[in-house]
Amino acid sequence: MYIVQTAFNGVITGVIMTLPALAVTLLFGVLKFPNFAVGAMMTVAAYMAFALNAQLGWPLLAAALTAALAMGVVCIALDQVTFKPLRERGGITLMVASLGLGFILENIARFAYGNSARSYVIELARPFRVADIRMNWEQMITLGVSTAAMLAMYVLLTKMPMGRAMRAVADNPALALVRGIESPRVIRWTWFIAGILLGGGGVLIGMDRALEPPMGSNYLISVFAAAILGGLGSPLGAFVGAIVIGVVSELSTLVLPPNYRIGIPLVAIALVLIFRPQGLFGQPYIRK
Amino acid sequence: MSTILSVQGLHAGYGAGDILKGIDAALAQGAIVTMIGPNGSGKSTFVKTVVGLLAARQGRIELEGACLNDLTPPKRVSAGLAYVPQEYNVFRNLTVLENLTIAREFMGVGRSGFGLDEELFPELGIHYRKPAGALSGGQRQMLAFACALTVRPKVLVLDEPSAGLSPLLMGTVFDKIKKVNSLGISVLMVEQNAIEALRISDTCIVLSGGRVRAVAPANQVLGMKDLNSLYLGEAVAEK
Amino acid sequence: MISFLILMSIVVCFSSVLALALNFQWGQGGMVNFGLSGFYTLGAYAAALLMLKAGANTFFAVVGAMLIVAAVCGLVALVTLRVIEEDYFAIVTLGVGEMLRLVSLNEDWLTKGALGLAGIPRPLGDSVPPEMYLYFLLGVSLLLLAGTYAVLTVIARSPFGRLVRAVREDDVVAATLGKNVLWARVRIFAIGGAFIGLAGSMHSFYYQYIDPTQFTNIVIAYAFMAVIAGGRGAHLGTIAGAAVVMVLLEGSRFLKDAIPSLNSDQLAAIRIIIIGAGLIALLVWRPQGFLKEYRLRTELE
Repeated sequence: MYIVQTAFNGVITGVIMTLPALAVTLLFGVLKFPNFAVGAMMTVAAYMAFALNAQLGWPLLAAALTAALAMGVVCIALDQVTFKPLRERGGITLMVASLGLGFILENIARFAYGNSARSYVIELARPFRVADIRMNWEQMITLGVSTAAMLAMYVLLTKMPMGRAMRAVADNPALALVRGIESPRVIRWTWFIAGILLGGGGVLIGMDRALEPPMGSNYLISVFAAAILGGLGSPLGAFVGAIVIGVVSELSTLVLPPNYRIGIPLVAIALVLIFRPQGLFGQPYIRK
Repeated sequence: MSTILSVQGLHAGYGAGDILKGIDAALAQGAIVTMIGPNGSGKSTFVKTVVGLLAARQGRIELEGACLNDLTPPKRVSAGLAYVPQEYNVFRNLTVLENLTIAREFMGVGRSGFGLDEELFPELGIHYRKPAGALSGGQRQMLAFACALTVRPKVLVLDEPSAGLSPLLMGTVFDKIKKVNSLGISVLMVEQNAIEALRISDTCIVLSGGRVRAVAPANQVLGMKDLNSLYLGEAVAEK
Repeated sequence: MISFLILMSIVVCFSSVLALALNFQWGQGGMVNFGLSGFYTLGAYAAALLMLKAGANTFFAVVGAMLIVAAVCGLVALVTLRVIEEDYFAIVTLGVGEMLRLVSLNEDWLTKGALGLAGIPRPLGDSVPPEMYLYFLLGVSLLLLAGTYAVLTVIARSPFGRLVRAVREDDVVAATLGKNVLWARVRIFAIGGAFIGLAGSMHSFYYQYIDPTQFTNIVIAYAFMAVIAGGRGAHLGTIAGAAVVMVLLEGSRFLKDAIPSLNSDQLAAIRIIIIGAGLIALLVWRPQGFLKEYRLRTELE
């Protein structure tokens, strides 16, 4: 039964990762480079929610929603300042810039709140058992939020014009231009949505673990593994990939020393890139 | 006849030198103009510059007298310019219906006028749910064409519309172009298959080495036995 | 004051070696190594362990460290470069670097984990009189830096160097010319790795005590800034860049005295913010760096 408990914990970890994995896959599809600042963006959003919740006394839900929306706006601004001037350069330059941005954001959090761990102010509900598996209400909320986010993304990308535009830009940016899609607008919306997803992810991490400056970056490799496994550019892939990485990572602690948990996402990335670079649901990369 | 699209002194290129070295060209309202020329003459570069995917280094591009130079491609589209690229001309990961929907939503938002795609391309209907990448080459070409026509453009720009198509499909494509033109849409195309294209065209522009070598009525060019001499700039009366 | 300057110069020396190695892999070869700090850690620990546990002398420890890091880099390149995309390679190197760092932290039996390895002997530490030693170490460091610069420059100007740059510019074209792209890239990465190992060894000798916290991601940022400041591909510029970056950043330690109201965590945070902002600013305003890349005229097609 211990295995089932561990697997369940893995599902929860995976579910927490779906939001940032969705953000990663969106950003990669539209902006065409892996953005290493996403971990720190989650951290900043988590601390924003902390400020509202623990310092101003807001209920966590309101704080989280506000922080997520704020993060959406902040991300648009960050893109204008950091990535837009570099838009014409290659992927490597953008990656290095994203790394730098990650440093800055994480240390802004560190500057403001120091290195010691913090927590949100929420009522500690007692854990309960379902079929012999221990769960708690935060985990149920996490499941609910992630599922809702998934569904919202699905609706956005398939039914709404802006979502279609995003997929079009991810598919063929030049063609999108001549089909009337204004790329700056699509980029702003992509960042706004990615920011909201990262904000939500940050709060969920803060609820699951504690708030400390490296909280987002700790998940960076796993989130990328999830997005790559699922197929960069595929939202369904991000969801599935996140759950798989989460479950396998948790289960691996039964056989490996816990500190090596990070090996799992790495091995996953290596395996995917060697055997099936487009991931589970992605499209084979066509060199143009 | 008035000129709907004109290009004056156009210079453009990708790297150090210019590929287009000062092009003057005009498309009359309601006409079909075909630009021919050998490989590397700059035909594709010309089209990309007119459409806005490449910035003009010198010269003017005008649509109905309004200058297009500072407009981004999406703005040129909403001004009435529609474009069918030669390849990668559909969104492969989106369905046929989504391709058409995007074109409708973004190319002519706020403009009146019914879409021409259903009228001219009824054969696409059965494929609506398929990803565009699953279509055959000829079907993708038709889809790309249809997308450009979902709103009624003023000018349709085509980059080698018959490239890679079988003779039968080629005939179909040029028939559709004629039909589109008969509805009042002016057409500018760039073509390798000069003969077929010139048969439906009014005017022919010969491009070579980045410059216009000749402009003449299409049937006059068709009558010439040796197109090579055209490319070298000999013996065709200027319009 | 003098000894401070000497110490700083030694640090600039091995930071420059590290930056030159990164420059070779990235600037010349087009392969970005986000796992730099992990490989650097590997080099430092390899040298230290070879001396402390295997009793090797300085020379063999350094060579050993260089070979080990070269081999690991080559292996990583060989396994992952099936997928040629730069983007993915960068992620993989990030991960490998992390793994190496974790090994240094967790494999206590080998590395003593967080306690670190102490008492690393300096080269010829017993033979040279103590009051001369710093100068000696500076001399050795400068020599190694000069050697690195010489070797990498010779390679850059050789036919292999031209191949490397051809692969960087357009690997599809290079492949059609019949060049074995994968093997060239493996070699590039391995050669760069060797010099990362050298830098790591120099680090161990200098500090004489190493632990995992010395090798955080800030090392990567330093090296990248140096390479970008110097102009990717230009070796001399990289050294200039490394010097400038090092001086700026080590100098900023004095902020602590200037702004007493901030605690040490906050100061550390500010320094990193400066590094990150500097990195982005450099990318935006000075992508060519301060010096130009050496190019044979015949290479321009």
